Amino acid sequence: MGIFSEIFSWWGGNTWGTRVTIWRQGREVGRDELGNRYYIQKRGVGPLGVPRRWVIYKDLAEASKVPPEWHGWLHYTVDSPPTEESYTPRPWQLPHRMNMTGTGDAYRPSGSILAKSTRPRATGDYKPWRPS
Amino acid sequence: MPKQLIIDGKAFEAEDGITVLQACEQAGVEIPRFCYHERLTIAGNCRMCLVEVQGMPKPVASCAMGVSDLPPNRDGTPKQIMTRTPMVKKAREGVMEFLLVNHPLDCPICDQGGECDLQDQAMAYGSGGSRYDENKRAVEEKYLGPLIKTAMTRCIQCTRCVRFMTEIAGVEELGAIGRGEDMEITTYLERGMISEMSANVVDLCPVGALTHRPWAFSARPWEMRKTESIDVMDGVGSSIRIDARGSEVMRILPRNNDLVNEEWISDKTRHVADGLRTQRLDQPYVRRNGRLEPASWDEALAAAGMRLKDTPSQRIGTIVGDLAGAEEMFALADLMGRLGSRNIDCRQDGAKLDPALGRASYVFNATIEGIEKADAILLVGTNPRLEAAVLNSRIRKRWRQGGLKVGLIGAPVDLTYACEHLGAGPQTLVEVAEGRHPFAKVLAEAKHPLVIVGQAAARRADGAAVLATVAKIALAASQGKDMGATAFNVLHTVGGRVAGLDLGIVPGEGGMDTGGMVAAAGAGKLGVLFLLGADEIDMTKLGSAFVIYLGSHGDAGAHRADVILPGAAYTEKSATYVNTEGRVQMTHKAAFPPGAAKEDWTIVRALSEQAGNKLPYDNVTVLRKAMYEKAPRLAWMAGAGAENVSGVEKAAARGGQMANDAFGAVITDFYLTNPIARASAVMAELSAIKRNAAARPAAAE
Repeated sequence: MGIFSEIFSWWGGNTWGTRVTIWRQGREVGRDELGNRYYIQKRGVGPLGVPRRWVIYKDLAEASKVPPEWHGWLHYTVDSPPTEESYTPRPWQLPHRMNMTGTGDAYRPSGSILAKSTRPRATGDYKPWRPS
Repeated sequence: MPKQLIIDGKAFEAEDGITVLQACEQAGVEIPRFCYHERLTIAGNCRMCLVEVQGMPKPVASCAMGVSDLPPNRDGTPKQIMTRTPMVKKAREGVMEFLLVNHPLDCPICDQGGECDLQDQAMAYGSGGSRYDENKRAVEEKYLGPLIKTAMTRCIQCTRCVRFMTEIAGVEELGAIGRGEDMEITTYLERGMISEMSANVVDLCPVGALTHRPWAFSARPWEMRKTESIDVMDGVGSSIRIDARGSEVMRILPRNNDLVNEEWISDKTRHVADGLRTQRLDQPYVRRNGRLEPASWDEALAAAGMRLKDTPSQRIGTIVGDLAGAEEMFALADLMGRLGSRNIDCRQDGAKLDPALGRASYVFNATIEGIEKADAILLVGTNPRLEAAVLNSRIRKRWRQGGLKVGLIGAPVDLTYACEHLGAGPQTLVEVAEGRHPFAKVLAEAKHPLVIVGQAAARRADGAAVLATVAKIALAASQGKDMGATAFNVLHTVGGRVAGLDLGIVPGEGGMDTGGMVAAAGAGKLGVLFLLGADEIDMTKLGSAFVIYLGSHGDAGAHRADVILPGAAYTEKSATYVNTEGRVQMTHKAAFPPGAAKEDWTIVRALSEQAGNKLPYDNVTVLRKAMYEKAPRLAWMAGAGAENVSGVEKAAARGGQMANDAFGAVITDFYLTNPIARASAVMAELSAIKRNAAARPAAAE
């Protein structure tokens, strides 16, 4: 993130306001495999009565980029971050993927006209002759 | 003697011999029916047509009761027939209730929905609800071939299909087994029906027991646009109705036309519809460095026009194919005439028919309706069952009335009626012509003899001599019978031929015919060969000639072509066709041609500009006006017959030696006779089934 986009945009990584807040109050707890960084409040407590927890996204700020192990910690479901525990994903868990809705990789059910598979036959379709 | 009746209170004079149902119809009173059909024998087993007749204790099945069987009342007043009394209403409701007892309630998933007689009549004449809560009868499905889908549980045993197959199609393949509730319609061996007319049973079926397999579950009748048109799959020119949804032809159905096809069409006519959406030429192509590459219209027309302009006129040849309409034939012949080319031929098979002799020498003079007057028919080198299936069923109709003798010279075939095989070749023909053969006596004694000559006889190298001999036989047979030219009949197998002959599309003075053009192209003497949908010639023999192909389907011609101009099929243009009788009919546009394809005559018109000789018609009206000036007969829509006998006399005067080899067959595969049929998957399947069935003996054999 360049300094220019940090000042003028809000959707990627942190803004300058967040940078100041994290610099003043935050202590880095760890990073996930996507490169998002997680912070916890150094002193005092937040509105919930416990130290505040933050995430600074790598590139696009998108809440669904937080993987499940960090999601639990970030939402105060568990006390200790996965870095302080021996966290291993279940064998049936797929690698975490952000919500792709609105992107080119969005899920299209079969039959959707936006699906990349062949479109079902419709009235007026014909098979043209092509020279062999 | 006409019979006095009172139908629903109104006096009516019924002609003798008709049934009560027909009398009611004529008097404008509608009688519901399922088993009764105008063109089939009377079965009287559905009981839906019950009416009340004065003096009769019970309701009477009106379809099976002749008016002649009704005596007048004792006081001499005419018999009263009542169709609106409580008794009739109750009888109809009762019959309908019985029919519905075993009829499944699956209208929402039935293909007949919307055009179902049972549905309509249950609405009109049935009672409001059902009192039946037992289990319904279920019937096993039957296999009736690839065209007919069955749901036999829906069958109401009207036996229309059985009667059609036995009476009209002439193949006793369908029948009923069991009785009462256990009655089932079946083909006994369940091998599928092998007939050229089999799909007509679906039209006859008043319920959804028999539906069309190829277009099952694809459309509902009310969502299709109906266009009345003409079929071009054979020379008969059957009247059809094209049902299209959007730009796709969904199905083809017959239309009532007593003059031509009554209400039947052949399976090819009906089920060729899927050929209209496969193998379509939808963009122009130009051959560059030995490969056909997609091109724009401008490029393709420029490439073709340049060749036509730069080639000396005697090195240009034109062959007109089987499915071409009169408009494009006329435009193309006009263009070639302006360019000075005399090499043009519409007789792709090389038939020795010469329009210069007069129209009577190349049409079916008796007309198809006229077959019903005939009492002796001589078939020469023809198999009408395959060449014109609907016309063959008309001969069969006449034969069933009795007193018709049919003789056949040519390959022995099963024509579905008794037919005496006289001989295989011209030798027998000469015997008949010279009166040495017993059949000559049959023809001479007949009141209305017909001689039908097929293309197998006409297209031989000695075709002119064969036609002359046939014409002599016809003239001798019709001597003193006031028949005009009607004894001499040419049976055409393709839709576009007669219009081509009417327009005089035959080689001009010193010009080459089809065979000559192919030979000249092979020898390098022809620079440009224009094929207007001509696919039946041997494309490997065209040498290095520059081939311009104008047509709708990618068949043999398109593979060989150097420039492809995509045209419209017969369902996509309004074009004039003339059937084998010489009846001028017009197709109507039911859908648009696919992709960049255009109507054929407009392509010829655009090409003429590039060829440096602009044709003077900018719309089809002006073109037709010019066409009618050239061939005035084409302006007589729908009329046929009454040709001048001089044409036959001139044909008889043509001489020549006949070779002795037997007449062959024109159609070896009924289902694959033209580019559209060859593109159709349904036709391919039927063709394969027929070939396999011929190879496999029946169980009893």
